[in-house]
Amino acid sequence: MTDASMDSAPTKGRLTTVDARTKKRNAAEKRFKAYGLTAILIGLFFLVVLAVSILRSGLPAFTQANVQVEFTLSQDEYDAAEGQMLKTKAYENLFIAALENQLEERGLEVDFDAAAIERLLGKTGGTIREFFLENPDRIGTPVTFDLAASSRVDGYLKGRVTRESVVDSRFLMVSDLDLVDALRDAGIITSGFNWNFITGSDSGVDNPGGAGIGVSVIGSFFMMLVVLALSLPIGVAASIYLEEFAPQNWFTDLIEVNISNLAAVPSIVFGILGLAVFIQFMHLPQSAPLVGGLVLTLMTLPTIIISTRASLKSVPPSIREAALGVGASKMQTVFHHVLPLAAPGILTGTIIGLAQALGETAPLLLIGMVGFIARAYPEGVASGFIDPNSAMPAQIYTWASRADPGFYEKAWGGIIILLIFLLTMNIIAIILRRRFERRW
Amino acid sequence: MYDATYDTTQETAVTDVKIKAKDVQVYYADNHAIKDVSVEIEDKTVTAFIGPSGCGKSTFLRCINRMNDTIDICRVEGDILIDGDDIYDKRVDPVQLRAKVGMVFQKPNPFPKSIYDNIAYGPRIHGMARNKAELDEIVERALRRGAIWDEVKDRLQAPGTGLSGGQQQRLCIARAVATEPEVLLMDEPCSALDPIATAQVEELIDELRQNYAVVIVTHSMQQAARVSQKTAFFHLGHLVEYDDTSKIFTNPEDSRTESYITGRIG
Amino acid sequence: MTLLWLFLITLAIAAGAFVLARSRVLAQSGQDRRKLHSLPVYYGSNAAMKSAIPALLVLVIWLIAQPFVVNNAVSGMISDSAIADNSSRGLVLAEVRRAADGLDLAVASGALTADQATDPQSDFETVTSAIEESGAILTSQITEPVLRAAQAFRAMTATGKRLMAGVVLLIAALGALWGLRETSPEFRARNVVEQGVRALLIAAASIAILTTLGIVLSLVFNTIEFFRLYPASEFFFGTNWAPSFSGRGGASDLGILPLLWGTFYISIVALIVAVPIGLFAAIYLSEYASPRLRAIAKPMLEVLAGIPTIVYGLFALLTVGPLLVSVFGDEGLGWMQAGTAVMTAGLVMGIMLIPFVSSLSDDIINAVPQSMRDGSYGLGATQSETIRQVVLPAALPGIVGAILLAASRAIGETMIVVLGAGAAARLSLNPFDAMTTVTAKIVSQLTGDSDFASPEALVAFALGMTLFVITLGLNVFALYIVRTYREQYE
Repeated sequence: MTDASMDSAPTKGRLTTVDARTKKRNAAEKRFKAYGLTAILIGLFFLVVLAVSILRSGLPAFTQANVQVEFTLSQDEYDAAEGQMLKTKAYENLFIAALENQLEERGLEVDFDAAAIERLLGKTGGTIREFFLENPDRIGTPVTFDLAASSRVDGYLKGRVTRESVVDSRFLMVSDLDLVDALRDAGIITSGFNWNFITGSDSGVDNPGGAGIGVSVIGSFFMMLVVLALSLPIGVAASIYLEEFAPQNWFTDLIEVNISNLAAVPSIVFGILGLAVFIQFMHLPQSAPLVGGLVLTLMTLPTIIISTRASLKSVPPSIREAALGVGASKMQTVFHHVLPLAAPGILTGTIIGLAQALGETAPLLLIGMVGFIARAYPEGVASGFIDPNSAMPAQIYTWASRADPGFYEKAWGGIIILLIFLLTMNIIAIILRRRFERRW
Repeated sequence: MYDATYDTTQETAVTDVKIKAKDVQVYYADNHAIKDVSVEIEDKTVTAFIGPSGCGKSTFLRCINRMNDTIDICRVEGDILIDGDDIYDKRVDPVQLRAKVGMVFQKPNPFPKSIYDNIAYGPRIHGMARNKAELDEIVERALRRGAIWDEVKDRLQAPGTGLSGGQQQRLCIARAVATEPEVLLMDEPCSALDPIATAQVEELIDELRQNYAVVIVTHSMQQAARVSQKTAFFHLGHLVEYDDTSKIFTNPEDSRTESYITGRIG
Repeated sequence: MTLLWLFLITLAIAAGAFVLARSRVLAQSGQDRRKLHSLPVYYGSNAAMKSAIPALLVLVIWLIAQPFVVNNAVSGMISDSAIADNSSRGLVLAEVRRAADGLDLAVASGALTADQATDPQSDFETVTSAIEESGAILTSQITEPVLRAAQAFRAMTATGKRLMAGVVLLIAALGALWGLRETSPEFRARNVVEQGVRALLIAAASIAILTTLGIVLSLVFNTIEFFRLYPASEFFFGTNWAPSFSGRGGASDLGILPLLWGTFYISIVALIVAVPIGLFAAIYLSEYASPRLRAIAKPMLEVLAGIPTIVYGLFALLTVGPLLVSVFGDEGLGWMQAGTAVMTAGLVMGIMLIPFVSSLSDDIINAVPQSMRDGSYGLGATQSETIRQVVLPAALPGIVGAILLAASRAIGETMIVVLGAGAAARLSLNPFDAMTTVTAKIVSQLTGDSDFASPEALVAFALGMTLFVITLGLNVFALYIVRTYREQYE
């Protein structure tokens, strides 16, 4: 060293006293750390808000207000009613009389007319007549009818509709709410679990109360069958080729580039592909779970290929060398040794891919699975694949875009069911991973 | 157990002791990595830590500037005093400590910045320069002390990662020197370098001795013999022997040291 | 014979070939497996493969090709005079197909006998009324040429199906014979089977290329068709988006600029929300958090990424929108007219992107070598100084890549904007205005009842093309950056 000025390095202060600059720097350190923590808390806060708003708005969809009226129809009344021109009207009058009786028994006096009952409960006469036509032996014995209250009444009881927000219409009058209050006080209106929501089909645009998600669950189910049946074998085959056999050449590079790009293509573009190729070009039926399944398969394939390749890669080369060493062919090595060892990882990746496909909505919009009113269950397996149906996310979207706010509750409820499915699939994937994960 | 030069009666008499360690224990989770190490390291001296892999020499080195704080499972017991201050005292800020005890690592690790910014990084965070001119001066001085000034003076804005391995390591030494430390810790600084670069760095270490207490961990006994005045031999977490380098290499007291020197363990 | 049966019979032939070939080769070797070149199962597989694969390949090609052949033939039957002025050949052909479906329905419901439906001389009136009664969906009155074409369509389709079944089964049988003839102990069955499997693997891997090709072709052809009907310059530089809904008459303004503006505005809002939160969360998780906090917080944040976009859409429409209106609406600050707005969609999209940014950045920050951090700590830098001045600059290219990927996500996102952003296309600076995006308009233009040949529907493909090109460009660029970044530290 030649520089003379550096012979004596300046001595520092004592270590045990923290100088002002260090204090300042430590304060900056604390602030920075706080920003990070805040960011995480904000993220978690959003998660909580989302969960709360789903549960708060969605859970009411699982209950439904029902009016229980005990009703005895004598043979004479039956004959008289059947003899009239307006048969259902006669039954309706009988029902109203029975309801009045029940209210009087409980010492309540409320004025109401037939129109109010219709607004509250829909066409009661028809329901009652149908019941007695089908069960003539029940004439003369007391029968308890469990009638679903209209969605607005239901909403009033759940607090979604308030007295202030009600505008007199043919659906609900403010005065009806007095009757509802009375019925509730009398214990005639009760709240029960809404099975129809889970098993039922979509209703028309003006009947939110009757809408159920069951049929679209079946639609989703058939779609997932298609996705599973196609994407698993194709995905695994493609991964095996790329990971184990593919030579380093332009063709392999082309496939690799395509897969990584397809993984990031917006899902709506797959919808355009489905519309143009499967529906316009191949004339496959619109709104069919088969087409939905095909589109979702193409969309899910990159995900499955990427995760399958990762699991194949995690099988150590020593296994391959061992098998090749005893004279197995390359193909035998892969199918007898590598693939079974990678299976749990492949399965996990497939389930996660399926879960992703199950929640996907945008491509389904374009192949006509939205706005379609799925009224009935498919008749068989074949019709399950090719008859028009909806799917869970598409059904939710359909409800969300209807004018009647009664459908919003159903949409949130549908989300709860969708999330239950997704949660179950993800938990299965996690359990599989925990149970079979092997570290080399 | 051979107890280095530690002797309570001499504590005040030895004036040029820079670092004094007493009964240091280090644990990685349940693994007891350093056992009862006591040692006194002198100022303006190169002290070499030698020993077989995994003997704890690097771990002990990292205790001296509390680099082990960045490892969650690591726990240090015992006292390490620098100029009489216990560095594990609650009042000591590791940031301030590390400004005083610089470190050079096994693999050259220049930041992905320009050569200038690599050197200026330390002075900047410690607020050592009042203006650009002063900073320039500090950078130049550090690069000169790192014996790399002549090679890089024309391309101070080029990225530090573009230098050769030996240049990178000298850049890292210059970077450590730029914060004006009093102690310089070097963790196998030549293990990633070729022989020519090693020779340059060793020459540099010898020059640095004039200003600092240098502690160097090395795998190479020849290197320890070449650059150090004092040598400590570690084995299985124990400090086996600590003495003048010439004594360790010619007339070791402990049979394990002799075995190591002669190549029977290691 | 339905498709399912044809498929099953083909498989049955293949299975039979498998059993026969296997027993044949065993018999030839005198039940001594050691004399065989390959395991017996490979001889069986060879025969089964040669039987099933060509047959199924022909089946698939036939299924795709037949509609074209039939359509062309039927199209020849309809003279130009039979096509109404406001119609086109394509529309008439669609009508023919619907009428043919109607005939099927009528036969199924018993309104027509099978003979009546196929007989070209049958009475026009009875047949049409039967079709209408059976509940077939028809858009206009069936005309005589249409009905006759429909009958021909049915006849040809039926013949085609019969022919297809015959050809496919023949090929399957021939394939089986070929496989059986080859079977002898010296035959290298395993090698042949493995070649076949390899070909199947390559075919599976090529599906990725076919998908891309399918996307590009369906976009390109329809886009070209669109530009034939609507000038490209007006599409790319038009500042007004006002499609006429009827699809007939009334010129539409189909300028993409307002849609692009809406797309970018919403994406920018989303990134302003997601990038700082995601980045700081990633920094905290990778540099500060204890392993326990990390084990809890990281998956919790990633739950946000696993939630379907329809849920976010609903969240925007029904929760965030009304909330924003109550603050910024007429009763609050008066900046906002309705719940659907750039702010609503952007905010919710930002929430969706938080885990996307955070987990990508987390990976990237973790890829910065520890030696870099040690170097900085060794100089006496605090942790935040190390992060800001060493780790982040080192990770910068990777983080930029991650942000670009997030941007591409935001641009391609559909459900949130369909439900949360509104439907009005406008060029405005107010983030509380409703705006619309490219994706939202693709949905609205293709889900209506408009005819696929109209510019109002075809514009969706041009929009899709634009979207595809933009996102593809972003993705390729981002992946390139991330990859070069990773290689730097490997």
